[in-house]
Amino acid sequence: MSNSQKYPATDPITTEIIRNGVLAVTEEMKTNLTRTAYNIIIYEALDFTVGIFTPEGETVSIGIGLPMFIRGMSETVKAKIEHFGYDGIKPGDIYVTNDAYLTGSHLNHVTFTLPIFVEGHLVGFSCCMAHWIDIGGTLGGMTTDIYSEGLQLPILKYQSEGVVNNDLEEIIKMNVRMPSRAMGDLRAQVTAVKSGEFRFSELIGRYGKDAVLQSISAIMDHADAASRMRTLSIPDGVYEAESYMDDDGIDIGKPIPIRVKVIVEGDEMTIDLTNVSDQVRGFYNSGVATGHACAQVAFKCITSPTDYPINDGCFRNLKTIVPMGKVVSAIRPAPMRWWMTFPMTVVDTIFKALEPAIPDRVIAGHHADLIVVMFHGINPKTKEFFIGNFGPLGGGWGAKLTEDGQNGVVCINDGDTHNSPNEQIEAKFPVLVESNSLIPDSGGPGKHRGGLGIERIVQARTNVILNTQIDRVHCKPWGLAGGDDATGNSVALRLEGEWKEDFPNAKVLTAQIKEGEAFRLRSGGGGGFGPAIERPAEQVARDVKQGYVSVSKAEQAYGVIINPETYELNVAATEKRRNKMR
Amino acid sequence: MNKATKSSTGARLAADIGGTFTDIASFDEKTGRLLFGKSLSTPTNLVNGIADGVEKAGSQFSDANLFLHGSTVAINTMLERTGAKTALVITEGFKDIYEIGRVNRPDAYNLYFKKHEPLVERALRFEVCERMFAEGVIYKPLVENEVVALAETFKAQNIESAAVLFLHSYRNPIHEVRTKEILEEHCPGMFVSVSHELSQEYREFERCSTVVANSYIGPRVRDYLTGIETRMTESGFEGSFLVVQSTGGLYEAEQAKSECVRMLESGPAAGVIGTKALCDVLGLEDAISFDMGGTTAKSGVIYKGKPLTTGSALIGGYDRALPVQVAMMDIFEVGTGGGSIAVIGQGGSLHVGPESAGASPGPACYGLGGTAPTVTDANLVLGRLAFDRFLGGEMILNVTAAEKAIKEKIAAPLGMSVTEAADGILRIAATTMSYAVKGVSTERGLDAASFTMVAMGGAGPLHASEVAREIGMSQIIVPESPGHFSAFGMLFSDLRYDYVQTCPSRLSDASFEDLEAIYQTMEASGHGAVEKTSVKVSETVVTRAADMRYVGQEHAVTVDLEMHYFAGQDRDGIKSEFDRVHKIRYGTSAPAEKAEIVSLRSAVTGLMQKPPLEEHLARGGGILTAAETGARKIYFSKETGFIDTPSYARTALLAGDKITGPAVIEEHASTTVLFPGDQLEVDGFGNLIIKVGKVSK
Repeated sequence: MSNSQKYPATDPITTEIIRNGVLAVTEEMKTNLTRTAYNIIIYEALDFTVGIFTPEGETVSIGIGLPMFIRGMSETVKAKIEHFGYDGIKPGDIYVTNDAYLTGSHLNHVTFTLPIFVEGHLVGFSCCMAHWIDIGGTLGGMTTDIYSEGLQLPILKYQSEGVVNNDLEEIIKMNVRMPSRAMGDLRAQVTAVKSGEFRFSELIGRYGKDAVLQSISAIMDHADAASRMRTLSIPDGVYEAESYMDDDGIDIGKPIPIRVKVIVEGDEMTIDLTNVSDQVRGFYNSGVATGHACAQVAFKCITSPTDYPINDGCFRNLKTIVPMGKVVSAIRPAPMRWWMTFPMTVVDTIFKALEPAIPDRVIAGHHADLIVVMFHGINPKTKEFFIGNFGPLGGGWGAKLTEDGQNGVVCINDGDTHNSPNEQIEAKFPVLVESNSLIPDSGGPGKHRGGLGIERIVQARTNVILNTQIDRVHCKPWGLAGGDDATGNSVALRLEGEWKEDFPNAKVLTAQIKEGEAFRLRSGGGGGFGPAIERPAEQVARDVKQGYVSVSKAEQAYGVIINPETYELNVAATEKRRNKMR
Repeated sequence: MNKATKSSTGARLAADIGGTFTDIASFDEKTGRLLFGKSLSTPTNLVNGIADGVEKAGSQFSDANLFLHGSTVAINTMLERTGAKTALVITEGFKDIYEIGRVNRPDAYNLYFKKHEPLVERALRFEVCERMFAEGVIYKPLVENEVVALAETFKAQNIESAAVLFLHSYRNPIHEVRTKEILEEHCPGMFVSVSHELSQEYREFERCSTVVANSYIGPRVRDYLTGIETRMTESGFEGSFLVVQSTGGLYEAEQAKSECVRMLESGPAAGVIGTKALCDVLGLEDAISFDMGGTTAKSGVIYKGKPLTTGSALIGGYDRALPVQVAMMDIFEVGTGGGSIAVIGQGGSLHVGPESAGASPGPACYGLGGTAPTVTDANLVLGRLAFDRFLGGEMILNVTAAEKAIKEKIAAPLGMSVTEAADGILRIAATTMSYAVKGVSTERGLDAASFTMVAMGGAGPLHASEVAREIGMSQIIVPESPGHFSAFGMLFSDLRYDYVQTCPSRLSDASFEDLEAIYQTMEASGHGAVEKTSVKVSETVVTRAADMRYVGQEHAVTVDLEMHYFAGQDRDGIKSEFDRVHKIRYGTSAPAEKAEIVSLRSAVTGLMQKPPLEEHLARGGGILTAAETGARKIYFSKETGFIDTPSYARTALLAGDKITGPAVIEEHASTTVLFPGDQLEVDGFGNLIIKVGKVSK
């Protein structure tokens, strides 16, 4: 049902002012959270979401740190409404939960919600989810159920009609490893939801409740109209695709199938995840909100990639089918700690399914993993314990119908997330980076070439222990429309001068590296788009000159013959070779 | 360098070249007269634009002993990608860091997202064997033969310019220094720039981008500055030629020719310097400059009497930006200007900007072929701009064309009147700008509502009242000649040299001797640089700061530290100062937690004589109506509709004059709009001081 039936239409000028206004509200909430948060996962890795919601729990505007958080918060707001009922929702309340099966992610994502009242009327909710640095549970290694992952908070009133629940604070403090940091982050989140309340109320004070709520309906209607128009342009049909994850970290080498079905009918789309793998034993599960988020992220990328604010109007014509108990709709007590890896591949597989319908709007497969490594040890200079990481490595992105893929950027789970500079890491931790480079030939060949993956080789200057949780070694970023696959992700260790590369996957847990030894991370490239043989030979020659593609790969994959000394294109030999390949 | 001209008499000329106009300010120290000139920038020969402007200001090059210059040449060369054929020399294993960058994807759902595009292609990035540890100790010595071989390659490939980035050169620059020597020896005439000369701060991608940008724009900026020098010398100029840096400080043109990247934002920075000069005179502590031109609005902040600066900036839009890691005025920009175009988006929503009609074809009312409705067209339709007084009447605006554009593109499709549509365009523009100003001040821990707005630029005074109302600011100042304010600001600049040195250490066990030695090395360079210039300075002032953070944090904040902290080896004092600044910036502090120093910063300023602000003539017996130039119907809001509004000539206003809005005050390059309820008073220097009326819907 369209909300426009509830309120009369508003004028386009007020609507635009309110549109900018709600965007400014969530931007300010974001600023207040990131500038007051204590942990760098919030202010550097942007692992958070803030948002304003309608009294029904529909998303009005969310300011996201990470794209995959598009859905989880709306789900928790709706669950809180259902839990307390409108009669139980009072001015001065603030609700909290970190229920992983509600947020769809892991227990570190603590979510606060504040009902906004103006003159006694509930006009919306201000909400903030952020990643706490520690929520208790076992340190490192693998988990096999939620209870070993830390403190679980059901839906509770953190503050009831202005009175803070001190008992709850005490329970939290006793269950997390760095209680002062946790309380700092908690305060930052409370500040964020209060600033959302303040600014949203200010907007209502300035323009009037009716004008603001009408404008919000209109914004959602506009989003719906745009979304339907763009969906209508997708040919009707049933589109399917599949891919797989390496394993769940416990049953090593046993692939996890990811099968998706997309049904397009008129101006509506259904994304069916019924045939995605059941939930798994290792900690790679996520909750049903993330199952929906997979569909929404893919849908937004296709129908409204640059439209803001992100609101539920954009998704009225999207239906997602996600039966419970899947790896992206796991039920208690499935372990959820590394929830973010598998959903990325689900998103990519949806693009793959839609390639026959809308080749101009989808993208070939990407490296689809954060590619992070955590290393710890004792710093020989300060004698202090340290845990280091470089942030996401970044990797190749898929090619498109009209463009090559991007080289070395973060995966689709991450957005405006930065890596750490090598100089900064070396100044902080006893390691030496031997190289940090693009990997030639890692991009999938195609008429449009996939982006290149990244390699980083790091030498330990003292004994360290390292952990990685990387997937997509075996299911390589795929090409589309006849484009070739890229190289996959990988981890290797240089022990006593010898490279050990024969790991069954890239999940290397608690590996010991001695001083002078090294580890190497490689991210996959992006898949190619269209047959490589159709790539203009001059472009291949340019790639070879720039070193993105080797002379031998140019010949083998593209049928293009390049003089290895001068990088000149041999037109006649190329033609001959390409004719043979056809 | 001509040292014979250190005389304090004669004229001081300031020229600010923007995208559309060249502004000249001329100050005659003998007569104390301040004059302005404005001419169209002449892209093919910018020097002609300057000469025109100087003439219009009633001055000439030969009268001047000091020529101060701000220019967009550096930034345009970078943004338009018209720089030199440049090669990068970099530590073995790292030639791709310039392309990899920070791997972020700001436009998160856009599959067609594009990251930054390097100024040097991969084939021209060359690795050499060398490596430092983070502590500045050599891990692998520089293999000089590799550099010599590269020099030969560069000659063969006609490389015009080279940039050098070695890891940890901020700790030990010896390999960069040697590489520069070798390249200069083997490739005479080639522009060579090495990273530590521009930034001794860690973060290899940012430092790399900085040195590459410098090499890339270097040859063109050098030729441009040399061209001006030649032209001025021919015109009889014998004085000193100083260039405005992005900090608002001045440096010698000669230095600007090698450290070009320091002048990227010279024009906007000068506007903030002008704001500070005004604040000093008026005794204002906190102000936000609001500089609105044709394509963007820019703001800088004066907080507790000092302009806010930053250690780095992103050039060319956030998504695809190339970072530059040098000291700069902290200026933020919104894509809303007089030329911003109004369009109808999906589902019938109305958007304003960031697309701009620019100077050509410009707004529809310019009659230069533009058909898109813009903010300027809306101002004309509502009567806020007079069609016959734009640029002092030099350019007649076409009201019919403005109405037609708004009607066809906006009003008719949305089913509203032209007036409603024009009002809507201006309200959307004002709210967009107000949200941006509020947003960035919150980010800096400040409350914009408690600041005074200083409005400048051609369009600043036109929109100031509406924007200030939206933000909740209560006072606006429109300085004399707001349309030439950057040129005016330059007259108040000082020589300035900024240094930074990264040297991570815990505050609790940092050696004050070591810190002092680092500061003194930086400051000795600064004193040397000030002494080398051809200008007489009244005093040289040193300010120190440190980038600090809590142990375990990633982000550092810059903390200004007065000299006594070092003299007294006052660790606790430094710590509590850091806690205080952290609290302002981030809302929290942790006095119990340990702090660490990341980088030391020092600025050496050579204070120059400033022109005194001219006392404005007070109105004795005369009456204000003498300044009235008529009245016209102006539309302010739905409630007021079009109402009779008097207009005044700015030049005829005298100190002490009071005007109650609605009114407009017109001058050559700008119009100030007073909304109903606004109260204006002309102060003793001719500034318009406006008390903003209550917010109306």
